[in-house]
Amino acid sequence: MATTTITRTEPLVGKRIRRREDPRLITGTATYVEDIQIPGMHHACILRSPHAAARIRSITTQPALDMPGVVAVFTGADTQGIGPVPCGASLPGLRVPYHRILATDRVYFVGHAVAVVVATDKYIARDAIDLIEVDYEPLPAVADPEKAIAPGAPPVHPEWPDNVAFTFHQEGGDIDKAFAEADVVVKQRITSQRLIPTAMETRGVVAEWRPGEKSLTLRSSTQIPHLMRTLVAQMLSIPENRLRVITPEVGGGFGSKFNVYAEEALMGFIAMKIHKPVKWIESRRENFLCTIHGRGHVDYFELAAKRDGTMLGLKLKLIQDLGAYHQLLTPLIPTFSVLMMPGLYKFANIQADITGVFTNCVPTDAYRGAGRPEATHGIERMVDILAAELKMDPAEIRFKNFVQPDEFPYATPTGLSYDSGNYAAPLEKALAAVDYPHLLAEQAKAREAGKLMGIGISSYGEICAVGPSPAMPAGGWESATVKIEPTGKVTIMTGISPHGQGEETTFAQIAADELGVDIDDVLVIHGDTTVVQYGIGTFGSRGTAVGGSALYFALQDLKAKIKKFGAMLLDSDDILFANGQCICNKTGKSVTIAEVAGASYRAMKLPPDTEPGMVATRFWEPPNFTFPFGAHIVVTEVDKDTGDIAIKRYVAVDDIGKIINPLIVDGQIHGGVAQGLGQALWEQAVYDDNGQLITGELMDYALPRASRMPWIESSHTVTPSPVNPLGVKGVGEAGTIGCSPAVVNSVVNALQPFGIRHIDMPLTSEKIWKLVNAGGQA
Amino acid sequence: MKINGTYLVHLPQERAYALLQDPEILAKCMPGCDRLDKVAENEYEMKMKMAIASMSGLFDGRVKLADQQPPSSFRLLVEGKGKIGFLKGDGLLKIETGDETTNVIYEGDVQIGGTMAAVGQRLLDTTSKMMIKRFFDKFAEVTRDLKTPGPVPAQLQD
Repeated sequence: MATTTITRTEPLVGKRIRRREDPRLITGTATYVEDIQIPGMHHACILRSPHAAARIRSITTQPALDMPGVVAVFTGADTQGIGPVPCGASLPGLRVPYHRILATDRVYFVGHAVAVVVATDKYIARDAIDLIEVDYEPLPAVADPEKAIAPGAPPVHPEWPDNVAFTFHQEGGDIDKAFAEADVVVKQRITSQRLIPTAMETRGVVAEWRPGEKSLTLRSSTQIPHLMRTLVAQMLSIPENRLRVITPEVGGGFGSKFNVYAEEALMGFIAMKIHKPVKWIESRRENFLCTIHGRGHVDYFELAAKRDGTMLGLKLKLIQDLGAYHQLLTPLIPTFSVLMMPGLYKFANIQADITGVFTNCVPTDAYRGAGRPEATHGIERMVDILAAELKMDPAEIRFKNFVQPDEFPYATPTGLSYDSGNYAAPLEKALAAVDYPHLLAEQAKAREAGKLMGIGISSYGEICAVGPSPAMPAGGWESATVKIEPTGKVTIMTGISPHGQGEETTFAQIAADELGVDIDDVLVIHGDTTVVQYGIGTFGSRGTAVGGSALYFALQDLKAKIKKFGAMLLDSDDILFANGQCICNKTGKSVTIAEVAGASYRAMKLPPDTEPGMVATRFWEPPNFTFPFGAHIVVTEVDKDTGDIAIKRYVAVDDIGKIINPLIVDGQIHGGVAQGLGQALWEQAVYDDNGQLITGELMDYALPRASRMPWIESSHTVTPSPVNPLGVKGVGEAGTIGCSPAVVNSVVNALQPFGIRHIDMPLTSEKIWKLVNAGGQA
Repeated sequence: MKINGTYLVHLPQERAYALLQDPEILAKCMPGCDRLDKVAENEYEMKMKMAIASMSGLFDGRVKLADQQPPSSFRLLVEGKGKIGFLKGDGLLKIETGDETTNVIYEGDVQIGGTMAAVGQRLLDTTSKMMIKRFFDKFAEVTRDLKTPGPVPAQLQD
């Protein structure tokens, strides 16, 4: 039989390959929305409400229209025919306010779009904004979700005076029995503060209407080009196939661009009205005011346990600050928290009640982790609070309660099926990395010396590879088309829309391995609805796990076709395909993939039942989510005199399944940890009692900076996911989810001598200093 | 934001009470005030220039005097709006007598909104204090020779 020996070249999957996207990004040659220039292009600037709640008595636009260079001014009265900003979520009894693209008679949050000026120049447009007179009648506002549901609070939407958008109840197991059998119940109110996603590139839209072709092209900085096309076409009442959405380079999203905003339809409307291309670029201040925020939880947890540390059940009362409207998935985000609330632990009884609350603030929606960081922060804080109550070691109590490796797939009381795991493994590895017994001894010594040293552990789990379609509002599958061009070059068109995740590299690695071609012969195309078959987009750590799996199956289809053509060309039925060649096992003769592809397009002769060309498309539906997990250990030292927190060590052991590119994984973990640290230590969107966002710029909103980043000791355990052919689980959100509880657990542990059992984020120096100096009294 | 403080003025109580409500004096002493026009009894329209953080702008405002309890207290209500946002102030001024001098005790609430709030909130406290101090410093200067009733001297009317 097989006589030919083939030495396979070393696979690229698993290698630290530098991102092929980076040269253009770091040399200023990438094209972002702001870089797009179209002849005749006009510029739009949006007037936004300075009030959190007000009636609009009148709007006078004439002075702006009179300004030279101003082409048009539109207000809510002009855009009434356009459909509402879409909410894709449906929950029983959900109240959905009609979210017009421009306010008409009332504004609901500071930043609410009221009018738009279109001018020949962006500076003229900006200046003309100041000439529009709006007569507002200010109304009482409410910005705090707990105050909003208290009696007598001003109604955000007058038709729903209780400010409750929905309630949601979920139960699993027998919660009453669990609490009745408990030796100990610990309770804690835990908040996850509102955060501003702060993508480096703000949002932006360029709309171009071609009246002859009756076609509209939107270039938008988004994570979901296809969903945007479907939804904006509906808003503008134009046929979906005459709307093209292109995402040029996208400078980060973190979930904030997993949305359809008023401005996309608004710019389309303007371009169709004035028959000129129009550009709108969001300013950083607008980004803070009008692009979704993340988190915004007030959680009341109760954890029941036996005295030996066995956890029995968890109750959660979750108050979600929704803001004034629902953006694409706003009300769904806290339901993810409920799914994730048991963490990695094996207790069968849960009860959760969500109250979704309207406030006079910008809507919240998906931000890196989207509901899962809040849940993980909650359960990981509660485990530590329980450990302190029982005077148990925080590591020991975790080991005692983990779901065990032989119990997968594991059905959780929240209705999920955890795919695979060995939850003790990353914690063991992290404890070994810090030499835990030695560290504890060091801490005891430090305490004797009057130093405040803390050790914090989080054993986190998450829900990734989002997700099976029944769990999603708009499908959870993903698509891939692979074309081998007549010259043998490989073009991949993926339905995901990477904006920093690096799939132009990882997908090329997968394809290069499968087809045995040079990675430089592979091009990955995404983010153009006219070029790419439909896709869902990039969010929920799904790109590689779902989109990469679709790619994998398309590649298998092509490999089968290549072999058919190879067999025909070599006139043999004993064919081996390897290293980009079809080889006849009998004669040793071979043809290259380029020869095969060329023959498939020339089609002088075709194998039986085979079409010409070398193209395969797959739409792949994942059978389940994936469930990555890991353990982060953080060693801190708190300065008594300043309240400053120094991170002495940061050890992250993440199990994200199989790894395609360790370099990209490192980057994702580092970035994720940075944003987790941001939440734990510095970041907070603050609205005052009147609904004014008082952290309205980067001077007041403390993002993590390079100088404050610790050295991250990152490593992995590898438990492949059985859910997809690549065995991958997803890594985009892991760092963020694992980080914040580990940091807070560490600082609370450092402040144990003061009897402190919980501190809400962010752990600012001021907050810590006050706690230390008040002897633990907040 | 809550504000409060006490200023000492070298005027008898009744005189201080009267001058603190005199539109000409107010126009002169309020920092950035361009003009103050009477629109009703105890109600004035005002144009003023205000600067906070890196922003400055013209404000159209309205000043109202209310709850007058001569000679010991009155309320001062200020509202203004401009391109950089809006502000609202509500203050109670208590005028307490000493012998030759009088204490003006104020307490009130200042709200700002719009861009001014988004980027200027952290400076609101110091800016308000500075503006109030400038008001009273100017008030002391302007009223130095006005211990007894009479017209405002011409040289002070610039």
